[in-house]
Amino acid sequence: MASNPLYIMLCSGEHEKVQMAAMMASVGAVSERPVEVFVSMNAILAFAKDATAEIRYHGGPFSKLIKEKHAPDAMTLFRQGREFGDLKLWACSMALDVAGLEMDRLVEELFDGPLGLTKFLSDAEAGQLVTL
Amino acid sequence: MAERQVIDARGAFCPGPLMELIGALRHIAIGDEVEVWSTDKGSAADIPAWIEKVHHELVSINEANGHWSIVIRKAK
Repeated sequence: MASNPLYIMLCSGEHEKVQMAAMMASVGAVSERPVEVFVSMNAILAFAKDATAEIRYHGGPFSKLIKEKHAPDAMTLFRQGREFGDLKLWACSMALDVAGLEMDRLVEELFDGPLGLTKFLSDAEAGQLVTL
Repeated sequence: MAERQVIDARGAFCPGPLMELIGALRHIAIGDEVEVWSTDKGSAADIPAWIEKVHHELVSINEANGHWSIVIRKAK
């Protein structure tokens, strides 16, 4: 039986939430569960191309621990989810427009493209939606 | 006779050991095995759950010398 697809709406740019989204997306995808991630609002800023971890990730006490203990990097987890499983990432077209960003300013080979909220929500009716 | 590859994921945090295991499984033949060493407390439950979900085979799981040793046989 096919697994129930998982849809993650990532709006927060807080490191801890980006990390959780990456963990859920990668583990879900490698567990033969289709996963789609919609990245919007402050979260889109965490996906800037060529950023260091210090620039990319901002958060609370746990963010410091993630960095100090060298927990898996969120961008690496998203990449592994794509490589090993059925994971798609979409950049919110509204967030791109408001931030004045083009797709080539985001981490390379991570996104499937820009997408509107209406299409994502419509697709998400087929599975479980989680918002972070 | 099945070949066995050892993945030393001690010190890696969740889901690092699982990802290292999956990366290794992609490069071995069906019937061959991977032994994962992990100090991540979740691995003892997470990796067997993943194996069951995706239909590989759990050969053994033991805790000794301060880490878990989990042996997986590639089944497909």
